[in-house]
Amino acid sequence: MSDSMTPTPAAPASAADPFAHYRGIGTPHPLIGLYRLLLREQLTRGRVLLTGVMSALAILVTALIAREGGPFQIDDAIGFLWFFGLGLSVPIISLVLASSSLGQLVEDETLVYLWIRPTPRWMLALAAWLAPATVAVPFTAVPLAVAAFVGTSGDLGHTWAVGVSVVLAALAYTAIFTLLGLLVRRSLIWGMLYLFIWELFVARVGEGAARLSINTYPSSVLSRMTDVDLPRAERLMSAGIIVPLVVAAVAVALTAWRLDRSTVA
Amino acid sequence: MTDFPPPAPSLDSMTPPSSPPQAPAPGSMPAAPTPPAAPDAPPAPGSPTDTVTPGLPPPPAPEPWPPADSTVVVAGVSKAFGSLVAVSDVTFAVRPGVTALLGPNGAGKSTLIRLICGLTPPSTGSVWVAGGDPRTDSAARGRLGLVPQQDGVFEREKALDVVTLAATLSGLDDARYRAAHALATVELDPEMARPVGTFSKGMRQRVKIAQAIVHDPTVVVLDEPLNGLDPRQRRHMIELFQRLGDQGRTVIVSSHVLEEVERFGSHVVVVAKGRLAAQGNYHAIRALMDDQPLRIRIRCTRAREVAAFLVADGCIVGCNIVDDGELEVTTTDARTFRRRVAVACRAHQSRLEEVVPLDDDLESVFRYLVGMGP
Repeated sequence: MSDSMTPTPAAPASAADPFAHYRGIGTPHPLIGLYRLLLREQLTRGRVLLTGVMSALAILVTALIAREGGPFQIDDAIGFLWFFGLGLSVPIISLVLASSSLGQLVEDETLVYLWIRPTPRWMLALAAWLAPATVAVPFTAVPLAVAAFVGTSGDLGHTWAVGVSVVLAALAYTAIFTLLGLLVRRSLIWGMLYLFIWELFVARVGEGAARLSINTYPSSVLSRMTDVDLPRAERLMSAGIIVPLVVAAVAVALTAWRLDRSTVA
Repeated sequence: MTDFPPPAPSLDSMTPPSSPPQAPAPGSMPAAPTPPAAPDAPPAPGSPTDTVTPGLPPPPAPEPWPPADSTVVVAGVSKAFGSLVAVSDVTFAVRPGVTALLGPNGAGKSTLIRLICGLTPPSTGSVWVAGGDPRTDSAARGRLGLVPQQDGVFEREKALDVVTLAATLSGLDDARYRAAHALATVELDPEMARPVGTFSKGMRQRVKIAQAIVHDPTVVVLDEPLNGLDPRQRRHMIELFQRLGDQGRTVIVSSHVLEEVERFGSHVVVVAKGRLAAQGNYHAIRALMDDQPLRIRIRCTRAREVAAFLVADGCIVGCNIVDDGELEVTTTDARTFRRRVAVACRAHQSRLEEVVPLDDDLESVFRYLVGMGP
């Protein structure tokens, strides 16, 4: 066993050094190191199963709509993808993934290993958002876009519209729920309450509340790109794109701020 | 047995002042505040009452506090969680070397460690570690290594990946190489492909220590690090702590096991009920303990005759005959007692089965230090 604690990096690797083969392996940027760790922590069997089931359901239902055909096929398919995709699938998958990004570290008290390091807080907050977003965006946008393609009998414009709106929604929701995971225990339950009470009920009843709903902005993008009327989706195209991105940026900044001031177990 | 000294006995010159000193400036050594004089202390040099008596040497200047080589300074720190005061007005300084943070369960050790590492802000007072406030100064945190008490490490990761990440986040080059060496230092094979979740408690503990030392920190803080280790691993870890201390690092090890602390090193900080009970040399504490009446349980045959012999011999000051096979005696001279008890048993052809000091546990030390009595 080595007598010194840690070797001097500049020291030449001697033949007796059993770990010489580890020398010269590039050290990743701290952001990349954090991102990789949090991404690996995201990919559990249960989460992959959830995203798979919701994606399969979306494709199955739009396939049935396409099979029925009729003059309102596109409206029906986009309406279903708005309700099920933007209203349920994207926020729920984002919640399940993002609330655990920092929330799991708080629960199992492993956050301390990252917090104690001299890495800037914004880096930890950014990695904690990027990791679930990396899973949520493709795992929702791709299947829902496929569902749109199937449901609209191969209309690429509509397919693209669904993909863009889903990406915007997933980016905003993952950022919000990453922050929620840091702020509260049992964030999954609080997140579900938020989704079902605010996003799916209150925000769909009143115009004022709709402005404070995440869902209304990507829904507006979907509505404007497809020319399909959707409830509470009257925002401008620019607002529909910018607001979710601003929400994501603010949520990441708040996460970093909160990390800096939190008491770590 | 009720004649206990007052709380927080002075054991060496590092015993803190009774009120918090001035908070140190970030990034620099804290200014040495003038500790308030104790009621019976001589007047400070230069004070209005400091009259020089011809023919007598001037009184020695008090050692500045905190000492110039302090790497950890806790100044007047209190921490409350709602109405619960976990740490109350604690002041001490730690120099390089191994320091044991000693206290019974619930004494406030873990809270104190979290305060030292900046994991929680103090309600009042200030903490200064390796050049700054660890809560706000990331450079100070970079010179700090922490082994937290909780078991959890990233369960799905390999040990080498956990320690490599720690090195990466500390901004080290050759992170994987350093991580491999840190794991080898704690006798873990870096090539192990198993995730940490499959490790025994002792192996996890060693992973936690490896991640804490991989970046060669100035201050290493370990919260109950010997929990879950087998005797051989404990011995190795204690040697490691001593080696780290010998290399000039400040190693703070919390423990509630007195016998562990005896082997760590000579300096201890004792906390009890959230307050600093004492700090100084471990052996000084034990010597003070040895001066106190000591209760001892003796299991032997013909206990009454043995008791009568010891009383007549004068080496015990009290005796309670539990039954004919067990005595509880009180002595003020443990060394003489140890010699005479064998003579007593031999004289009465008694078979001596057990001699157990009843006060030689940590709880007794704390009872003694906080003056509560046994």
